[in-house]
Amino acid sequence: MSMSDRLDPAALKKRVNALEAQAKEAQSTIDELKSRDSLKTQFLSNISHDLRTPLAAIITHAEILRDGMLGELNTKQRESVRGIVNGGQQLLDMIDEILTYVRSEGDQIKLARTEFSITEVVDQVRMLNQPLAAKKHLTIERLSGDDLPPVYADRDKLRHVLGNLIGNAIKFTQDGGRIWIALSRRGRNGEELLLEVGDTGRGIAREHHELVFREFAQVDASPSRPHHGTGLGLTIARKLVELHNGTIWVDSELGKGSRFFFTVPLDTPRQ
Amino acid sequence: MPARILIVEDSTLVTDAFRILFSETGYDVDVAGTVAEAIERGTANTADIMLLDLSLPDGNGLEVLEALRERGASPRATLAMTGRDDAKTLRTCLEAGCAEVLLKPLPIGDLLRHIQRHLS
Repeated sequence: MSMSDRLDPAALKKRVNALEAQAKEAQSTIDELKSRDSLKTQFLSNISHDLRTPLAAIITHAEILRDGMLGELNTKQRESVRGIVNGGQQLLDMIDEILTYVRSEGDQIKLARTEFSITEVVDQVRMLNQPLAAKKHLTIERLSGDDLPPVYADRDKLRHVLGNLIGNAIKFTQDGGRIWIALSRRGRNGEELLLEVGDTGRGIAREHHELVFREFAQVDASPSRPHHGTGLGLTIARKLVELHNGTIWVDSELGKGSRFFFTVPLDTPRQ
Repeated sequence: MPARILIVEDSTLVTDAFRILFSETGYDVDVAGTVAEAIERGTANTADIMLLDLSLPDGNGLEVLEALRERGASPRATLAMTGRDDAKTLRTCLEAGCAEVLLKPLPIGDLLRHIQRHLS
């Protein structure tokens, strides 16, 4: 554009009109994408609800058989029916994870804060995961946290976050490895609670540290990957931590284990 | 006389499974797939326990509770069965008179225990 063009009112007007048209087009593309995104979320929600019902029926029928209500089963039959129940339960957990994600996307998740002992919750989640860890000869220890004050937060949501992190640690740590949970206060006046879930597992390359929190993302997304899942666990965990005004991050190197951290402000109940 | 359970749920996949479960564990079982049907069944034979799905083809399951109360045919306990366990759903159900809100599906052992507890 020459100097004379720039000063020519007609040329300027033309340019302004062109820019306005571009802006309008961009806005219409944004609207279109938003509408498609909301359709995708609606679809995910509907399909998850619709998958739950027949799955519930399958699990109930299998439990009736497993518990011998229609006659005693022999060992092999019982083992096979147990496989149906466990597989169904795993599928149900994945569907529920998708539903939780959809709700968190639609800002439908609200915190129900109460005062409670965070170490107690950590120990509950630890005990709950013990049988799964034992299958891989993994140890899960809590290294600290006996001297912490009660937190004012949503107990179920923090339990969900811890369950997800410990579940991942079990999934991605080789037989005989170690998992630990450490709790401490941080900030100038100790106003934040810092939780760490660490493991001696396979680790995550630096370039994938942000990716693991992204929705549907998996570091190994190949069909032959050894660990399957929705790819939503850490996305939900991040959402739940952020709802508490906390932050979540990972410190890890490939082959050197992972340490996931998250913070929760040590708020007090409003009077 | 065995206790009577009224299952209000529109999926026959689920009611078929429940029918087997409850008849095998010694209950009298009745099934309704809509609000209208549930009011009719529940009035004809007052149930001891009503398992109530919230979303039914012709309305909200909680309407059944209200209608049965008006007809003097309230079950001893109504257990709402829902796919959502958020605070709002919980509050609405309890305010409407449900004794408990259960997140479905729950393991059959737990379901039977909940029912037993309300009968004893």
